[in-house]
Amino acid sequence: MGSGGELRYEISQNAYIKLVLHSLKHKTSAVNGVFLGSSCDDVVQIIDSVPLFHNHLGLLPPLEISLIMIEEHYAALGLGIVGYFHANERSDDVELGNVAKNIGDHIYRYFPQAAILLLDNKKLEALPKGERSAPCYA
Amino acid sequence: MDCQSLDVAKDCVNVLQKKFPESKRVGRLEAMLLEAKGSWGEAEKAYSSLLEDNPFDQVVHKRRVALVKAQGNLSGAIDFLNKYLETFMADHDAWRELAEIYISLQMYKQAAFCYEELMLSQPTVPLYHLAYADVLYTLGGIENLLTAKKYYSITIDLTGGKNTRALFGICLCTSAIAQLSKGRNKEDKDSPDLQSLASAALEKEYKQRASDKLSALTLAFKTLKVSS
Repeated sequence: MGSGGELRYEISQNAYIKLVLHSLKHKTSAVNGVFLGSSCDDVVQIIDSVPLFHNHLGLLPPLEISLIMIEEHYAALGLGIVGYFHANERSDDVELGNVAKNIGDHIYRYFPQAAILLLDNKKLEALPKGERSAPCYA
Repeated sequence: MDCQSLDVAKDCVNVLQKKFPESKRVGRLEAMLLEAKGSWGEAEKAYSSLLEDNPFDQVVHKRRVALVKAQGNLSGAIDFLNKYLETFMADHDAWRELAEIYISLQMYKQAAFCYEELMLSQPTVPLYHLAYADVLYTLGGIENLLTAKKYYSITIDLTGGKNTRALFGICLCTSAIAQLSKGRNKEDKDSPDLQSLASAALEKEYKQRASDKLSALTLAFKTLKVSS
């Protein structure tokens, strides 16, 4: 995590929009997704994202299979899993739940510079007025 | 109310109230309006008074659970749901909701219990067998994995071999079991056949529906077999 050096994260529009749209589509449930990209020097570039689930987020088998297949697919393109995205079910819940923390820890083991993004609904509501959303937790 | 047009909702409720002054359904709608506005205390009072009038009103019970859940009090929601299910044991949706709350809190054993109840009352619905197998796999441990494999097989049986998640589940189970039982006597009775059957079925389905993802599938199989 914080190793003294400054880590910058650059997220591409594609990756960001896919996950925000996914969470907007399933407004009544928690959603999650992974970020794919690469890192060079101090910049982690998030180039693409894959939305994962919108109902049973805490179940292991679908998660394992999807992570295996995502890794294989993007390894061919030279990208790896660099982060995890989570959006809570309730609109005012800005806590990172246990499930999200566990998945984040798992990804962190494989990629120590991984980031977890948690959707902040208040900022998402303000989006049409031009503000940013999703605070980062590294 | 779902679209947050609370003024429109309020007007509708007022009109209904004038037409049906003593109606329970209008009472419920009023309480839901309070919930939508966020006045949790008042909504709670409204629901409690409705329940006093009619303690067997299922919908109001469930609205109360939803109210507590919306406030973020998941353990309170679990308590209410458990009490509700003691009276109304046949309400499948309530069991499912309880199982999902347990899963989100990672209380997998309790979630497994809920799915067991569902399977007892509706044994022909493959969804519950699938969810039960997923929960067992998440719990881990070789016995759970063996049982999970059986439930994935039941799901495939019930759906005529078309359920992708169950087929994947079988592949995952067999490789996990093999990993766990490396030092002991391997139970080789029917596991290699089952895994190869499942993977063959998956490959066929992928060829039909998404042939460009077939390479990802074969690589995934290699990973699973390599770790077994």
